[in-house]
This record gives sequence, C-alpha cells and structure tokens, in this order.
Amino acid sequence: MAALESRLRALLSDRRVLDAPDALLAWECDGFTVHKSRPRAVVLPESTAEVQAVVRLLHQERVPFVPRGAGTCLSGGPTAGTDAVVIDLARMKQVLRIDADDQFAVVQPGVVNVELTAAVRHLGLHYAPDPSSQTVCTIGGNLAENSGGPHCFKYGMTQDHVLGAVVVLPDGEIARLGDAGGPRPPGLPDLLGVFCGSEGTFGVATEITVRLCRDQSAVRTLLASFASMADACRAVGAIVRKGLVPAALEILDRATIQAVEASAYRAGYPADAAAVLLVELDGPPDVIAEEADEVRAAFAAHGALRSEEATDDAERKRLWKGRKGAFGAMGRVSTDLYVLDGVVPRSRLEEALDGITAIGTKHGVRITNVFHAGDGNLHPNIPFDGRDAAETARVVAAGHEILRLCVDLGGSISGEHGIGTEKLDHFGMMYSAADRDVMARVRAAFDPHGRCNPGKALPSRGACAEPAKWPQMVAKVLDAEKPR
Amino acid sequence: MSAFAPRSDAELADWLRSRPGRVRLMGAGSRVGRAAPADGAHAVQLAGLDAIERLDAPDQTCTVGCGVRREALDDALRAHDLELPCPGGGTIGGLFAADPLGAASHAGHSPRSLLLGLEGVLADGTAFRSGARVVKSVAGYDVHKLFVGSEGRLYAATKLHLRLKPRPRAESWFAHDGLADAEALARLQALRAEPVAPAAVQLRRDGGGVTLVGRCAGRPTFVRAQLQKHALTESECAWSDHLTAPTGGEIVAGLARASALPGLFAALPATATLLWHGGGRFEAALPDAAASDALLKTAAAHDVTARVVATTAPARRERGSPTDPGAAHLAAALRSALDPHGILV
Ligand SMILES: Cc1cc2nc3c(=O)[nH]c(=O)nc-3n(C[C@H](O)[C@H](O)[C@H](O)COP(=O)(O)OP(=O)(O)OC[C@H]3O[C@@H](n4cnc5c(N)ncnc54)[C@H](O)[C@@H]3O)c2cc1C
Ligand SMILES: Cc1cc2nc3c(=O)[nH]c(=O)nc-3n(C[C@H](O)[C@H](O)[C@H](O)COP(=O)(O)OP(=O)(O)OC[C@H]3O[C@@H](n4cnc5c(N)ncnc54)[C@H](O)[C@@H]3O)c2cc1C
Repeated sequence: MAALESRLRALLSDRRVLDAPDALLAWECDGFTVHKSRPRAVVLPESTAEVQAVVRLLHQERVPFVPRGAGTCLSGGPTAGTDAVVIDLARMKQVLRIDADDQFAVVQPGVVNVELTAAVRHLGLHYAPDPSSQTVCTIGGNLAENSGGPHCFKYGMTQDHVLGAVVVLPDGEIARLGDAGGPRPPGLPDLLGVFCGSEGTFGVATEITVRLCRDQSAVRTLLASFASMADACRAVGAIVRKGLVPAALEILDRATIQAVEASAYRAGYPADAAAVLLVELDGPPDVIAEEADEVRAAFAAHGALRSEEATDDAERKRLWKGRKGAFGAMGRVSTDLYVLDGVVPRSRLEEALDGITAIGTKHGVRITNVFHAGDGNLHPNIPFDGRDAAETARVVAAGHEILRLCVDLGGSISGEHGIGTEKLDHFGMMYSAADRDVMARVRAAFDPHGRCNPGKALPSRGACAEPAKWPQMVAKVLDAEKPR
Repeated sequence: MSAFAPRSDAELADWLRSRPGRVRLMGAGSRVGRAAPADGAHAVQLAGLDAIERLDAPDQTCTVGCGVRREALDDALRAHDLELPCPGGGTIGGLFAADPLGAASHAGHSPRSLLLGLEGVLADGTAFRSGARVVKSVAGYDVHKLFVGSEGRLYAATKLHLRLKPRPRAESWFAHDGLADAEALARLQALRAEPVAPAAVQLRRDGGGVTLVGRCAGRPTFVRAQLQKHALTESECAWSDHLTAPTGGEIVAGLARASALPGLFAALPATATLLWHGGGRFEAALPDAAASDALLKTAAAHDVTARVVATTAPARRERGSPTDPGAAHLAAALRSALDPHGILV
C-alpha cells in the first residue's frame, strides 16, 4: 500500500503528499459536516502537468480521487472516501492572464473568488458570480458547483461567465473545453456547459477562462422592512413585473433579522420587521435614479413599514453586512445548522414560505429564511443540536419535506449547493430512473471507470426508482450520531 | 431522403423505437445546406411540435415545443413585455441545437444561459428530462447544456424550458456603412468600453468597407444618451445571422476576439465578405477554395481560429484549425454513450 504514496512523493516531493492520519483531519469534510470521512492521502499539485501526472498514476493504480478547492461546499462534494486520494488545488492560485481589452482572465483553479476581482479592479473590471463564501471559495469549486450568489439575478451563475477550461480527465488525458479548445467543429456540443456543475465527477479543471464584467458607474442599495413576509414577496413580484432587473433582490425573515442583530454582523435592520428586502441597482446614475423611484413605489404599494437607502459606500456595506453575515449569525444560534437550498418559481414564493412554516411547526423545529428572492432560491436554515439524535432526525425530516414542497411547486431541490452526498436521496423527487440513466451515460463518457469523485452527484442505479429512500437517510444521520 | 413528421413527443419516441435506420433531425431546415450529406437517412421534421406549452410571465420562463418558430415565440412574448435575448431564427430547437454564436455572446445572453432544461428523446426512443423550469437549478448533470451546439447528433429535444428577460422599454437599431477599417474598429472599441455596452453589435466587411450594426436597449433616457454619445444613426434592423456562400465558394467560420480583428481584417482576401458578431464568432464568405486556404493559413498567427463549414467539396469540410483532441474524444464518447448505433447523422 505504501508504494502508491511513495510514487506520489516522487512526483510532487515529500511536503506535498500528506498521509499521516492526523494531518488528514482538515480534509475529513466540507461545509456539510454530517458526512465525515478521512481520505487515504492528500496531494498538493501546483501545475496542470503535476495534476496530470498524479491522475495518470491513480488511473494506472485504479485508485479513486477527489478534486478539492477550499472545501466550502455544503453538500459533501469534496469529501473523499477512505480509499480515495484528495487532489487539493489550493496551491494553484495564479492568475495566468488578464486581458482587459477582450474582458477575460485565465486562472488556475485555486484562485479565490474575491481575489480574482481584486486582481482586475484597477482595470475597472470584476468577476460577477459572488457566492456568499467568496472570500474563501475557489474558481475551480465555483465551476464544479456552478455557483451563484446574491448578484446572479442580473448577472447569472458561474456557467454564464466561463468561456473555457483545461481539464485533466479521469484517465490523465487533457481536454480543452469551450474557447480553450479552438473553434467548435460542427456537432461538437457544449462540453463546458455540462462540465460546469458536474461536482468534480468529470475531471479536474486546472485552467479556467472567465469573462470579466465592466464595473458599473453607480450603485444604489435600498432596504425596506415589511410587516409580513407576503408583502415583501409581493414587492419583489412587482419590481420584476415592472421589467426592472436589479443586481440583487434578497429577503431576510424576522428570525434571521433577530439573529443578525444579536451578532457581530449587526446591520441596524429594524427589529420589529417580519421581513426586510434588500434591493441593489447598478448602472448609469440617471438610469438607476429612475429605477430607484420605481423600487420605492413598489415598496410603498406593498405596505413597506420603512425604507432607507445607502448614501455612501460605508452605508452600503452596512446594509449588506447583515445579509452576508446571515449564515454566520445563524451558525451562532445553535451548535449545528442545516442549510437548505431549494428553488421555486418566483411567483410561488409566498406559498413556499407558508408551507415551510407549516413544516417547521409539524416537526417541532425552528426554521429561518434568508433567500435570493429574485431567483426564487430559498435558503431555509434549521439550527439544531447535532448531539441530540431525535432532534437531528426531525430536522432532516423537515428538510426532506421542504425539498418535496419545492419540487411540487415546480422547482428544484438545489439552486446552488449541488447534490453531493447530501441530496442523493432526494434526487428521485425530480428525476425518473430514465433521466438518471441518461445522466449516468454522460458521466461514463467522461469517467468510464467511475473513479473521479465516486458516490457523488448521482445516486446509484435503482435509487431513483424508489420514491422514498427517506427512512435510510434518517438512519444514516442517526447512525452518525451514535457514540463510537 | 424519406421524411417523417411526428405530431407529438410520444409519436417520435415510438417511431425511433421501431428502429427505422439512420435519422437526420430537422427543424425549419435553414441549415440543411451546411450539413454533411446524409444519403439514405430518414429526415425527421420536428417543425410540427410547435406548441407554446406554457408561458409563465411572472417567472420569466416558458416551455415550448422544439418546432415553435422564432417569430411565433417573439410575438407571444411581446404580449407580455418579455423577450428571448439571443439572436437566431428558424425553430427554437434548431436555434439551440445550432448555437450559431456560441457562449461568448456579446451581451452575456447565449443559448447556454437561456436553456433551463428540456425534454428529449434518445436515438433508441428513450424519453428523458434534464434541468428544471426554474431560473436556477444545479440538481443533476446539465444534459440539456449538451444540446447546445449538438446539431442533431446527440438526441432530439422535444420541449425546451427557457429563461426570458423583460423587453427593454426602448430600443433602437443603428447602422453605419462605408466605414474604413480603422474607423470601424475605433467606433467598436468605444462602444465596447462602455459599462453598459449595446445589447447587440456586429460588423460586416466587404468590398464596400465596413458596416457597424447594433442595438441600444434600455430605458428611453439611456438609449437616447447612448445614441448621442457615440453619434449613432438610427436605422432599420440590419442584423444578419449568417452569410450565404457565393456560387462555387465557401464559408469559413471561427472565433476572433475583438483585439484580433485587425489581424483578421489583414488575413482576409479582398474578395471576402466578413460577418463578425460582438461575442467573437465570425463567418467569412470566400469566392473559392484558394481564398479560404489563404485565410486559414494566416489565421493562427493572428490569434484567430477558423474552419470551413460550408463547401461544395466534401473533402474540404472542417478543414482549418484543429479541434482539441481531448474535446473531440469526449464528443465521440458522448455520442457513443447516447447514440451507440450512430443513428443520428
Ligand atoms: C458560508 C457559506 C456560504 C455559501 N454561499 C454560497 C452562495 O451564495 N452561492 C453558492 O453557490 N454557494 C455557496 N456556498 C457553497 C460553496 O461555497 C460553493 O459551492 C463553492 O463554489 C465551493 O467552492 P470550493 O472552492 O470551496 O470547492 P470545494 O468545496 O472544495 O469543492 C466543491 C466541489 O467542486 C469540486 N472541485 C473543486 N475544485 C475542482 C476543480 N478544480 N476541478 C474539478 N472539480 C473541482 C469538488 O470535488 C467538489 O465536488 C456557501 C458555502 C458556505 C460555507
Ligand atoms: C444557411 C443558413 C440559413 C439561415 N437562414 C436563416 C433565416 O432565414 N432566418 C433566420 O432567422 N435564421 C437563419 N439562419 C440562422 C439560424 O439562426 C440557425 O441556423 C437556426 O439554428 C436554424 O434553425 P432551423 O429550425 O432552421 O434548424 P435546422 O436548420 O433545421 O437545424 C439546425 C440543426 O439543428 C438540429 N436540430 C434541429 N431541431 C432539433 C431538435 N429539436 N433536436 C435536435 N436537433 C435538432 C438539426 O439536426 C441541425 O443540425 C440560417 C443559418 C444558416 C446556416
């Protein structure tokens, strides 16, 4: 067994291959802490050639592997089985090329999202997708998860911003996808489009070409408070119906406001509000001045208690601070936090939120909501004490019902966080066995031997045919809580 | 070619299950002349699957049969102050399967970003779904994104779920013809440097000089200001999606970023017509094979990739910049995974 590790060391040097059990602790899970497992080893390559050499060796030795960025995933995507080697891309953090004229950059996968924008800010450019984890998460992880963020209502998800990628395929060969591969010959489908969001199961992206957006000349940030969640949702509907496309449309509910206000992320949100709606407009100053008037009119028409607007950058940061810190604030409420990620059509938001409240009551769990209202992308958060097995089971049961509700309302079980291992049992809510089989064929075209991040993103054959694998999931959670 | 025109998804699936032999999928057929010949294959005309199944105006999404014509969808959307913000005509299925302008489209909207999901049928008649009707979903592999650019070689899409955008409150097309190369490039550069660039922009270059075409869209004050600032002359919409090959000539298509345009201009023989779209895709109509070869030979030196896409000489089809071998391998693997018997040609 040691032979593999020493061959990896020969490729990368001693320092960049870790296999001592204690050293592996940092890689035992991602943000979905329910699922923990220590990998066989971790390697830290620094170039495409090194990734290729590692993958070739693992392919030869038939050893599974898992690409990993910053490990902020919330669905278990980068958590490796005990037989697998983690290919950690954190050291590949070079911005390889910036082309301001043609508005693109080529980066290594370990570049942290916010650092890419920092690298191009002096050119009046930025990288638009902005997951709330952007100070930590990597462009490689964003590509693999097709990540979004508060500003994707206007600017789109990661897939709308990637132009090309160099990928080390699971057999060690290299493929250049998108523009990185030259002109598309007739009949060549959008390989980069399907790679985006494949959760590290199609290969390792080692160079990524992304679009850069021009900074807008002005930004206006408005916040309104409402006496009911329904009013806040209707205000969102009204803003969108007017044909406005704000950069962001975010809602926080009462419980989240209270948690934020009691935390280090205090933003001065009105404590008496049932919901606050944060709207950001960007564009030419006279255009967004007109738009701000229309937004304020929508606030008023839907009974806003109060509204305010940031007058300078410090104020803007304050209004965003509560939204950006919402998960952190909720994390302090209890020892554990289950973050859900279902999507509903925007017009069904009110129904969805009523349903979520009812589900919380039914299962005796507290559910708070902070969400991308423009996209209908909910983030119900359930704080709980993971040491309490019965409470954990109720939490997971409530989560399952919430995702069912999202699908019944015409939506999806995940808007941003992916399936990973967390939602494997929910997959059948959206897809039939035939749908799953077609996806499995696509996966096999990229990874015929099934060694690239096995056990993630797609349930095994047969799993979709059973409508309720649910009791097994409860069992899994309870099992994880047993003292060992 | 014998023809089959299904009236429903189920009829298409049943027919494919009967193992009819090789099949050529078609929408409105506008690209027929560009496809490789498919002698002996059945033509499957999908234009009859033309129902707009749902139009969820408040959610800015719709579900359409693949045979819905672009104009029919545009009319239906106009009634709700919505639009599908990407160029291209024919049927919606044909437009997405052909993806004429690629993902780097000028204003950020491309078939990739507008296709939320679909219902499809594999060559063996297996019906499946991918994606969702909502504007955001990362559940499951995006098998629907593979449809984009697949040109009927992977599977048939029967229904497409699309993302829509609000129709701008004002729009104006502009066109400036007879420009010298340098002036056209300078004007283009100035437009591209704007924080909010025009919603569409295109250059057409032939013996008469360069024509700069585009569309300003947004609030009326903004559109007026943009036209004024750049001294743009309003005109009828002069946009074109494609070029037609001259008799005995060829079409070469490829990718040239804006900064590569001077090089592309230099590489083009004087007899060529060029159509360059803001996102970087271009087509050039060349009078003969020698002119195409002259362009292909110098393209790489100018950071331009290019390939013959329409020709009367079958052996010359696809001549030009090489496809990345890894990508070609993946495309072949996907084809054999989804259509192992090579039914779709
Ligand atoms: C507090 C918090 C807030 C968050 N907010 C958001 C949000 O607003 N929007 C959102 O979309 N997500 C959000 N997330 C989830 C997470 O940050 C994103 O999924 C992010 O893109 C993961 O990036 P990462 O670098 O941490 O990747 P990891 O977690 O390390 O990996 C994620 C997946 O990508 C694969 N992967 C990583 N790098 C590569 C590569 N180079 N090639 C191939 N596969 C690779 C891994 O195998 C894994 O399956 C949040 C998470 C946290 C903890
Ligand atoms: C020579 C030429 C002429 C054009 N003429 C016009 C024009 O007059 N007006 C205009 O607006 N635009 C035109 N276009 C551009 C147009 O935007 C695209 O070519 C469009 O994709 C054609 O749609 P169609 O329905 O005619 O598709 P077709 O030409 O019928 O098919 C295009 C490709 O898509 C595949 N396909 C079609 N439907 C499906 C489906 N449901 N499932 C799977 N595969 C499918 C076909 O196999 C084929 O490979 C033209 C393009 C070319 C190259």
